[in-house]
Amino acid sequence: MEEIDFSEKINKKIEDIKEEVLLGKINLLEFELLPIFSDIKDSLNTFNIKNYSKSFINVCELLDRKFEELRNLLNSLDIEKRFIEFMKKNPNEKEMYDIFTGCWNFNFEIEPLSYNFLEYALDRFCKEKDLDFAIEHLDKEKSDYQFLLEIPKLKFTEKVNEFFEEIKNILPCNFEEVFENEIDQINIYEKFVYLLHLLQLGKIKYQRETNSLYI
Amino acid sequence: MNEMSILMHLLSKKRSAYQIGATEEEILDILNVKNKNKSIYFQNLIVGLSNYLIPLGLQIKFNSLNLHWYLSSDKEITELISANPFEGKPSLAATLLCTLTSCLKNSGSAPIQEIRNLRNKKDIMSDLKELEKEGYLIIDKTTYQIHLTPLIGYKLDLHKLLINLSLKLKESKI
Repeated sequence: MEEIDFSEKINKKIEDIKEEVLLGKINLLEFELLPIFSDIKDSLNTFNIKNYSKSFINVCELLDRKFEELRNLLNSLDIEKRFIEFMKKNPNEKEMYDIFTGCWNFNFEIEPLSYNFLEYALDRFCKEKDLDFAIEHLDKEKSDYQFLLEIPKLKFTEKVNEFFEEIKNILPCNFEEVFENEIDQINIYEKFVYLLHLLQLGKIKYQRETNSLYI
Repeated sequence: MNEMSILMHLLSKKRSAYQIGATEEEILDILNVKNKNKSIYFQNLIVGLSNYLIPLGLQIKFNSLNLHWYLSSDKEITELISANPFEGKPSLAATLLCTLTSCLKNSGSAPIQEIRNLRNKKDIMSDLKELEKEGYLIIDKTTYQIHLTPLIGYKLDLHKLLINLSLKLKESKI
């Protein structure tokens, strides 16, 4: 099979169109998207399908926008007529009230978030920290004690075990899958540390070739 | 303070009873954007902030009546908290609809007498005064005309209203 891949070229073309639409140079309603779909269809094969799926999504986004513009155009054609037509039917108060159902917006307005407050916050952040700190070297003191940074062993072990119980049913799996439901970076980091400990303890094994974790 | 915090401030700022947010020109001016692709920069900024706001249940909207960009709660939140400002006041909603119809018909302002006819009710002044108090309209006592303020563009999803009207008309034709 011929290894052709025009996805970059197609994506570039779509980006250019989007930019020209934003600049007002192109009216999507008058622009033909069919040639782009044809380009994708004609050159698609098993080699390039992964890259082409992104191109297909991009061109579908453009098509969505085109439909949106068409819908707006159709709606703007006879706005006044529709209102008058409705009023001609002599609707009662309840019918007029009901016509607004689901049409209300709830605006987000914050008075306290004033520009002055932001400037004050900026000043505090940038200026008040700028104090005249003198960094002095510490003298080493003699002591009979040996200071160690202690981690509460039991609590940490419990957490590691808890994490192990949580993931053991999904093993074997891809390395990334362990973190796929996590959004918070701190949680990902915490779980990664637990995973390192489990690997070190030999409770979980890692195969580099397949990037997978297993018991 | 960065572009996003300034933008957030500008879009959530209520300047008067019927002016919330900022226009594209104001935003670009405050951010000191002067290059020739400033329109693209603006779109990217709006899209960028919008992506951050989605998880908070907020969205950026555009009021076509005064060309202001502003922040609004998304559909899910709006349905949950019932944003209807005329809950239990059907008379005000009906008078507002008649005013809206008359303003559309007369390209901007509506004669009080015409609203009265559409409303099929003699005493509409108390409703109009209440709507004026709420910031939806201004009563011109010299010409007996009503002018809508841009507040309706913030509070009302006009697109959804048109869909409701179309559905109602279609329903009555069947």
